[in-house]
Amino acid sequence: MTTDLQRNWYPIASSSDLPKRHVYQAQLLGREFAVWRADDGNVNVWENRCLHRGVRLSIGINDGHELKCQYHGWRYANRTAGCTYIPAHPADAPARTICNNTYPTQEAYGLVWTGEEATGDVPALDGFADATVLRPIPLNATTDMVSEALVGYKWNESCLGFANADGSVTVSDSNGVSIRFFIQPTDSHRSVIRGIVNSSLSGDARKDALKRHSWLLQELRDQVEAAASQKEMPAPYEPVIARVAEDLVNIPAIREDGPAADLRVTVAEKEMTADDILKVRFESIKGGLPTFQPGAHIDVHLQNGLIRQYSLTNGPGETDHYTIGVKRDPNSRGGSVAIHDDVKKGDVLAISAPRNNFPLRRDAVHTILIAGGIGVTPMIAMARALNVQGLSFEFHYFVQGESHIAFSQEISEFENAISYHMGLSPEETGKKLGEVLSEPGHARHVYVCGPGPMLDATRKTAADQGWADACVHFEYFKNENEVDDSGSFEIDLARSALTLTVNDGQSILEVLRDNGINMPSSCELGACGTCQCGVIEGDVLHQDVYLTDEEKAANKSIMTCVSRAKSKRLILDI
Amino acid sequence: MIKLYDYELSGNCYKLRLLMSFLGLEHEAEPIDFYPGNQHKSPEFRQINPLGQLPVIDDEGLVLRDAQAILVYLASKYDTSENWYPSSDPAILGQVSQWLAFADGITTTASAARLHDAMFYTQIDVDVARAGANKLFRILDEHLYFAELDGQDWICPGDHPTIADIACFPYIMLSEEGGVSRMDYPAIRRWTDRFKRIPGFVVMSGVFPAGPAVEKEAERAA
Amino acid sequence: MSNFICNDPVALNLWYAISALEEVHQGDVGQSVLLEQPIAYTRNEAGNVIAWAHEGDPNCDPNPTLPVKERFGYFWTSLGTPEGDVFPIPEYGEADRRNIHAASFGVNVSAPRMVENFLDMGHFPYVHTDILGAEPHTEVKDYFVEVSEERDEILATNCKFWQPMAAAASDGGADVEYIYRVPHPYCSVLYKSSPLDEARMDVIAIFVQPFNQEQVRVHMMLSLLDEANEDRNIRLFQQTIFGQDKPILENQHPKRLPLDPRAETPIRADKSAIAYRRWLSDKGITYGVIPSAA
Repeated sequence: MTTDLQRNWYPIASSSDLPKRHVYQAQLLGREFAVWRADDGNVNVWENRCLHRGVRLSIGINDGHELKCQYHGWRYANRTAGCTYIPAHPADAPARTICNNTYPTQEAYGLVWTGEEATGDVPALDGFADATVLRPIPLNATTDMVSEALVGYKWNESCLGFANADGSVTVSDSNGVSIRFFIQPTDSHRSVIRGIVNSSLSGDARKDALKRHSWLLQELRDQVEAAASQKEMPAPYEPVIARVAEDLVNIPAIREDGPAADLRVTVAEKEMTADDILKVRFESIKGGLPTFQPGAHIDVHLQNGLIRQYSLTNGPGETDHYTIGVKRDPNSRGGSVAIHDDVKKGDVLAISAPRNNFPLRRDAVHTILIAGGIGVTPMIAMARALNVQGLSFEFHYFVQGESHIAFSQEISEFENAISYHMGLSPEETGKKLGEVLSEPGHARHVYVCGPGPMLDATRKTAADQGWADACVHFEYFKNENEVDDSGSFEIDLARSALTLTVNDGQSILEVLRDNGINMPSSCELGACGTCQCGVIEGDVLHQDVYLTDEEKAANKSIMTCVSRAKSKRLILDI
Repeated sequence: MIKLYDYELSGNCYKLRLLMSFLGLEHEAEPIDFYPGNQHKSPEFRQINPLGQLPVIDDEGLVLRDAQAILVYLASKYDTSENWYPSSDPAILGQVSQWLAFADGITTTASAARLHDAMFYTQIDVDVARAGANKLFRILDEHLYFAELDGQDWICPGDHPTIADIACFPYIMLSEEGGVSRMDYPAIRRWTDRFKRIPGFVVMSGVFPAGPAVEKEAERAA
Repeated sequence: MSNFICNDPVALNLWYAISALEEVHQGDVGQSVLLEQPIAYTRNEAGNVIAWAHEGDPNCDPNPTLPVKERFGYFWTSLGTPEGDVFPIPEYGEADRRNIHAASFGVNVSAPRMVENFLDMGHFPYVHTDILGAEPHTEVKDYFVEVSEERDEILATNCKFWQPMAAAASDGGADVEYIYRVPHPYCSVLYKSSPLDEARMDVIAIFVQPFNQEQVRVHMMLSLLDEANEDRNIRLFQQTIFGQDKPILENQHPKRLPLDPRAETPIRADKSAIAYRRWLSDKGITYGVIPSAA
């Protein structure tokens, strides 16, 4: 049940209580908050417990971009409070829905405000635009007792106080000095006095005023506490802890694809970042954007009806926008050209929530990132995450020439890790890859994204030099293999107890869709991995570029958009 | 080499480990089974410290007890920069001594509450100890709030921490183990973050390190 | 059953370790609290430990006394009528082992939270940094969990975790193997591959004595194959590990373990904790937990 108390805005901190890289601990109506300011200035007010095991996040670490829980190192993103990384399972992309409870926040009059169910704006306070914020005074007494005492607060004989309808107290003197006191109900019998003065003081005058009021308010505190200690105190509030989403009850399967949420975004910026490469910034029209992890991509629904996938380049905590890179490809089916030529700043587009089929492990002792051309985009997001966490990595950027280097501003964050390899022929590229991959080893991982031939070369070189398949991670933009869609076969859906026929010219995915079975998909070219499905029985004719050779040989999963059955029948885990 | 009669879970021993780490001083630890063995009350140990308390150091034959006294000794002898114990400035020296005495008060309140809760020192009146700790924390929080206002990061004036910070830090950081929350002391909480970022900072069991500080713009430019 | 504050019949009828035997002396009356009931104990003239409940005066007539067992270096008692004996730890009796009482510590948390933390490997790099784990080696590999019907206990096997100082002889880290048992709602036994003998394992157990639903006393027992280290150093090492868990445990909210599956978010690494929570639910335990509403 929501009460008026829960609908109100309350100040819970002074703005100066939130320096960067600090986590402030607050309480309101019995509920505790972890409050932290990200490096971009955004203030986060979250429930003070990690969703995993209930540990207070106020003992965790604010790295400027994310808040890290002290118990198991789970990382939660600035703004969205979505979990971006679970170290116990470094190869998984966390379920997007693991999201901490967040509370509305506003910063005004030098104070940080929140409320469990607060809506709209904090109350407008006339005359306090340049307020001086007094030192907050916590005390062990009910708000009623505090309010009563504050009405009689005096710093000179002319002071007159009265209680406002919103529960605050105003005290003014004959010189025009006025203080508005807000009483933060920490718990049923504990409060904090937060006062603001209606003038902007500076230097010694400010210090003197702050000292004087700190002293006077502490005297008031001692009197109120003495009176409170004689009274029976009300029972503490018992805030209800929200239950986690139902789909989190069961241990998530190894792969976790959330539902494709359709988001509407505006094109906030559109600029060339290199020859033929456009940088596009999307911002949300209303509300926030969902949490992403490095390696994630979004589907962009274009005005001409095409849907295209683009990797996010955002760094950790950069949660107020998405930035993608689009290379103009005149030979494409029209997606990139449409973005280059037709999409304008201010346009509204539909995009999907980020999906991550290219998760970044952070349990490597060293990570090698290899990008070719426009394949640089997911690598930038990865490098930025590794860099913020101080993990060891190197970044090899294969590019035609200087004018083709995209996202140089983002790259400047990790200048020490980058090596450019410009204008190399295929042979020279192969030789360079051989050098880059010369040292396989325990807990060393390679990530590669670029044109198909380069990916193939990297995979082959890595295999020749002794890298385990599981340590070489890649993302194809497209599947350049010829897909054979001939022949018919049956699919048994184990969980749905259905048998369906896939005819000549149809894909498994199409047949599933036609029969009302919702299977997420994205590129539908066997490159992105979204439509992956478990195989229980039957031989698969793999035609994708997503699965590794080991995975293909294991015959445990299938890309339903392009792959088919070698046998007469496949039993799928749906 | 300096020998420290040490117990990992003792905040008073931790004060000395901190200072020696900040100064880059090597030492040899002689672990004492404080709990449950009560080795500090054994006849053998009482010949080293008749009070039967930790910590004690033995520096080439000079045996000293009392954490605050040892901080004064180690800083005076080994910190040639005189940053940690600025003995040439009487005004600062007076303030350092004042806060060293305050740290003793933290030990008799916050540390006593912790011994009660964790190690069953049932003779301690834990409510009195907690109330005493809160009273001291209120005073320190106000002091640190106004220090920040003056651009001062540490308990005593100057741009370098002193042994007063070291003496106050451990039992404030461990106060929750005695049931004393620090939520009402935001200036103290910010100071503990700053303290953990002093170069050479080491943890003890029960204290976690701080995350990375913001790079100063100047350093970024350099 | 007389009128105890605790009204959970399952909890009342369990055995609880109260004190290390080496700390119980003839002529001294020790005092403690079990499930909010004040109790006292001593060693009688025959040399046996006796324990009794009292209502404020520990020197009252000890009769009727509570049941007592001496097991694993501690005396155990119960406010009710336990079925059978204290669970077995067969390794404790092996002649070449050193059995050490590491310490008994008070922690402001519920007993089941304490046990769950003991079963958890994922926190090693973050809480026991550079001792039991170190970043970036954070992965919790798949392991097996079963509830043994015959012995009514949870068994987690094939648990492996990368440790920076796995063996004294090597300077590099390696995977260490663990087996966890939960043979009692508030006790757990851990087996860890011994650096000395590949075929055998060291044993570390915690026996949790609930003072009340949110405060406990934890008794830590070690049964090791170690020949080199002094008891004192082994004890201090164990206390260091324990002291690192303490601030985590005391910052868990709520302090009681929520059994509602939607109260917290499990991951694959938490298989043993999930089994433990279900097992407690199935037993109908209410003490120290927040039972599932359904």
